[in-house]
Amino acid sequence: MASFTPYTYIQCPCYETISRTRSSDGTQTPSSRDSFEEDERTFDPRAPRSNYCLYPLEYLLYCDVCHQIRCPRCVSEELVTIYCPNCLFEVGSSSLKTEGNRCTRSCFQCPICIGPLAVQSLESAPEPSLLSADNANSSAPAGPWILTCSYCNWNSAEIGVKFDKPQGIFAQLSKIRHGEDHSRSTIGETSPPARSDTVPDTTKARFAAMKSFYSAQNNNSTTGSGLSGIGDYGLSSPGALSRIMNIYSGNNTGGIKQKSKASMMREADTPNEGFRLSDLDDSAAISHLRHSGWEGTVTRDQAKLQVEEGARFADELWPIPYLLRTKRSKRCPVCRHIISKPESKVGNTRWRIRLVANNSIPSITIKPLQPSTPSTPGVAPLSGILRPLQPAQFILTFKNPLFDDVKVTLATPATTPGRFASRVTVLCPEFQIDANTDTDMYLDDVLKDGDKDRRRQRGDESSHQAEAGKIWERGRNWVSIVVEVIPASLRQDAQQQQQQKSKEGEGKGKGEGEEPVPDLGPLKEDEDILEIPMFVRLEWEGEASNDQVGTGAGKEKDAREKKELAYWCALGIGRISQE
Amino acid sequence: MSRKQVKGEYIETDTGNKVARKAILIGTQHIMLGGKTVIQAEAMIRGDLARTAQPSSGAGGAAAPGSNTAVAIGRYCFLSRGCCLRPPGRIYKGSFTYLPLRLGDHVFVGEGSVVQAATVGSHVHIGQRVTVGEFAIIKDYVRILDGSVVAPNTVIPSFSVVAGQPARVIGEVPEGGHEAFELRELYKTVGNNPQPLPV
Repeated sequence: MASFTPYTYIQCPCYETISRTRSSDGTQTPSSRDSFEEDERTFDPRAPRSNYCLYPLEYLLYCDVCHQIRCPRCVSEELVTIYCPNCLFEVGSSSLKTEGNRCTRSCFQCPICIGPLAVQSLESAPEPSLLSADNANSSAPAGPWILTCSYCNWNSAEIGVKFDKPQGIFAQLSKIRHGEDHSRSTIGETSPPARSDTVPDTTKARFAAMKSFYSAQNNNSTTGSGLSGIGDYGLSSPGALSRIMNIYSGNNTGGIKQKSKASMMREADTPNEGFRLSDLDDSAAISHLRHSGWEGTVTRDQAKLQVEEGARFADELWPIPYLLRTKRSKRCPVCRHIISKPESKVGNTRWRIRLVANNSIPSITIKPLQPSTPSTPGVAPLSGILRPLQPAQFILTFKNPLFDDVKVTLATPATTPGRFASRVTVLCPEFQIDANTDTDMYLDDVLKDGDKDRRRQRGDESSHQAEAGKIWERGRNWVSIVVEVIPASLRQDAQQQQQQKSKEGEGKGKGEGEEPVPDLGPLKEDEDILEIPMFVRLEWEGEASNDQVGTGAGKEKDAREKKELAYWCALGIGRISQE
Repeated sequence: MSRKQVKGEYIETDTGNKVARKAILIGTQHIMLGGKTVIQAEAMIRGDLARTAQPSSGAGGAAAPGSNTAVAIGRYCFLSRGCCLRPPGRIYKGSFTYLPLRLGDHVFVGEGSVVQAATVGSHVHIGQRVTVGEFAIIKDYVRILDGSVVAPNTVIPSFSVVAGQPARVIGEVPEGGHEAFELRELYKTVGNNPQPLPV
């Protein structure tokens, strides 16, 4: 079985607003227990909707004004910089509108393997000079040039594409592809397979031709009627709309008077008007398929990555210009304050604003407590495998990033939700974590003290036992406590469940009894993971937030105020073995 | 302290480098360490693959010692057991030459990985069994997951999570994940008197 690393996911408060609005329409997840009061409702990390609100701590942001956690799903993003991930050049938003969302320099991806393509001279193909388009001395190779992939050795000559010069590949390629200049056929023609004249132009070229044709038509037809003086094209113009209405309502309807206008309009019927006869004769494709076999066809991923759809064979694949990438700032969805903002320069990796949850809420790490007591030899949870019905203990370590002492209160349901209810006991649900005195001057002293403490505690460890109501270990800004779990058995048969019920007592029996029909289906994916929902409540006295200027001025500057934050999190402890 | 004590597993230099005695360093005169770098046993650095002497251009500049660096490594880098740093080479002005491989600060190279990049930025995590192809450019704050193969000449922009064969960007490093790239604490856990990771 795959090894399991314990995890902590924290719930973003945006979940609550969704679930509240959702519960009104009566749809309930089968395992949720909405019969509880609003305040007492527990959180089921396995509910389908929970997927969308549970995040590792690193992904969460923290709004300083609202004092609330914000997740990547609920923040609103704004573009700061648009750049090409390959040449790292910034692209202006205006050129984005005209040129599209791909790099228009010479950055291309291999259509076969998506590796980067390099420009290479065809002459010196056996001894390629990668990236060497810069030096133009006598030995420098001269064209024609091709794009080559150094990962899979694909090159653009395979689809019959060669370039006159090593610069401005994007423009050359689009010229080759979208008509006007068929330079592809002029330079060293190597008879590109399946690319005869019958193969029509690309969708883009056809669209452009059709657009110009119909806009010309439209201009002609609407000049007299005066409905739209603007030379508009497409369906937005009333002329086109009435024409289409005529077509679809039939010509002989009495309601709409057909004027001579209709006779003036005609449809595109030649290739240079963008017209294309649908090629129903697939024999060419079939023979091509016979000839090139499975290898000659494109995979779904390859077809999906293409800029234009419709490629079926490998020789219809074109180099992919790199999709642009962005740097984004993030705003709190409630108060609209910016909570994350990168520097706008592409190469700069600093952040102007970065309010991450890391700095505001304690991190929780989980590790198994190695049993030192010989009385329970079977407990040892090796590599996260838990034995059913055998109690196992885990250490949860809470590390405080704040510069203030924090009082933590934990709560878990007695049994985990879901089909396999494991029992959970937090031995010390209330404790205080000392402040994070993050001053480097004293750091070493403090660390030494901490080490001493730890050593002393380790010395006692033979008699050190997890005790209810006591913390396990304590450091400068961290506290670890013990959680005991009794994993449920994953056996399917009802008999086993009956046994469990009678064995485990009423708490579990009640949970089972609520479900109308026990689900005896096979084990679902990851259902064997023991996941504990835990409610964490933090209380601390921090510096008073002086948002309101008027009230802040009157008081003394170091006014303290009580702060509070509460959230659910899901602790993945380990897999229960299926025996 | 190193003289008096028994030989430890590591050689610790004045600048804080911790080099395992079983590390394989070839052409050490072409290898530059920024300090506080850990090189574990069986890690290989090919300093011998230095730029071949250029007769025409750099006669004045190249004469200075240390200018012909093959592998330059920043501070707080961590080269795990069995990894290999190998400068990339190509035809340049008609003859084959190696070009330097530069690592920034806080670069972690996992076990059994081979790095032939041109540049690796700062705060980069390269997982286990990764191959970084020749002349790849890896910017800052990049995480390359285990088993990836970064194609030659690839450019990986900052804050990317990269995986696959060939490697592609599969995600972004979240804002809260920047601190995870710091290798100061990891540096303390190895050496002749290793200290446990703080909680």
